[in-house]
Amino acid sequence: MPAKVAEEWLNICGGCEVSILDIGDPLLGLLPQLQFVHMPVLMDHKYFGQTGEGTTLEIPQADVGIISGGVRNEKEKHVAEAMRQSCKTLIALGSCACFGGIPALANMWKLEELYEKVYRGSKTTEPAATPNQNLPPLLDSVKAVDEVVKVDAYIPGCPTAPEIIVQALTAVLEGKPFTLPERSVCDDCPVKREKKASGGTLKRPLEDISVKQGEPWENTRCFMEQGYLCLGPVTRAGCATGTEAEGHVKVPRCIKGHMPCRGCFGPIRQGANPLVDMMGALTSIGLDAKEVLDRRALLNRYIGGQNRLRPLPQKPAGGR
Amino acid sequence: MSEEQFEPIIVAFCCNWCSYAGADLAGTSRLQYPPNVRIVRVMCSGMVHPKLVMDALNKGADGVLICGCHPGDCHYLEGNLKAQKRAEAIGLLLEDFGLEPERFRLEWVSASEGPRFAQVMTDMVEAVRSLGPSPYRAA
Repeated sequence: MPAKVAEEWLNICGGCEVSILDIGDPLLGLLPQLQFVHMPVLMDHKYFGQTGEGTTLEIPQADVGIISGGVRNEKEKHVAEAMRQSCKTLIALGSCACFGGIPALANMWKLEELYEKVYRGSKTTEPAATPNQNLPPLLDSVKAVDEVVKVDAYIPGCPTAPEIIVQALTAVLEGKPFTLPERSVCDDCPVKREKKASGGTLKRPLEDISVKQGEPWENTRCFMEQGYLCLGPVTRAGCATGTEAEGHVKVPRCIKGHMPCRGCFGPIRQGANPLVDMMGALTSIGLDAKEVLDRRALLNRYIGGQNRLRPLPQKPAGGR
Repeated sequence: MSEEQFEPIIVAFCCNWCSYAGADLAGTSRLQYPPNVRIVRVMCSGMVHPKLVMDALNKGADGVLICGCHPGDCHYLEGNLKAQKRAEAIGLLLEDFGLEPERFRLEWVSASEGPRFAQVMTDMVEAVRSLGPSPYRAA
């Protein structure tokens, strides 16, 4: 009997659903084992009965629940709670569900400040009142799913890697736990490291990164040592892949695309704070952490939930 | 807290070889200093990771001190210079967390400087007292 799967998207762009499709051929092997009973992105299944006759939010019983996206408003909180009740195992899919994701950058400001900026403060916007009719109220911050309900397995990534979805789904279907190893992206990265920056100041990722094309990765210098801010040292491993054509050399995805790691897999272990850890990583190879523009946001780009980003405390007017 | 005077909680990381001995001397010399200071003995000021300082400040401390040997006197030759480098990073982190720079201090106290230890602690406690409680205290 196929396992029943309920999938729900909350505060999200939809990229992680595309990642499910991106599984490609292995998806055909998985499909006979899966029966989708609820999936707003694919099927028309309403929360309050098909004609709106229901009075309570209903999600069909399922063996596996997948939630992508963080929790931004009361409706999403409600849906997440209903998913938890209906599903035996709950998987958080993507960085938004795991850590709050890009939308959680908004946690750096208070709600009133956001409303002010979006509806009145921006030059290109005609000032208007904050809409409050027929809309679910926003929560005070963008939350990761596990701040609202218990989550059994995490699949981070922005968007997440199809291979990991397959691994996680297979593990869950077999009743095994799924966790990524507590290693850093650097542990999976094959580039050459000399433990010292090549000198100069921090560069922006749009400037040319020197990559020895067509040669083994061992001949390319570590991007961070070249002076680009790479979040590899403080980011969890798991995205590295190596196809047959590439000689099975595992390379983290962004590195393979000649870009430094952006940290979408989140902190290496629970409770770690990449913002603090990155300071050490930068200074230990001789780069100046002062030069990182917009440090708080950049080093918390995908992980602003779970209280990592919050409005800075107001300075008291005077001491007491 | 409104009526009573605010009593800050200060965590002081003191190196085993100089500052902790300095604290000991302050104690055996019966010097008076405020009881707000919680001393944590570490082998070297250079081993105090910025993480420990930020953790303390995020979990209830109102101020953090790192005390080490005077430059040149380090038992491990240059551990205190490492602490000095780390102090710069801590300064940046305080900024990122929206805390006043005065909540963190790096001080050199040798084993023979009991009075200086008492003085440093008194200064720190008074400085933090005038800043008020850490905004992260309640959270």
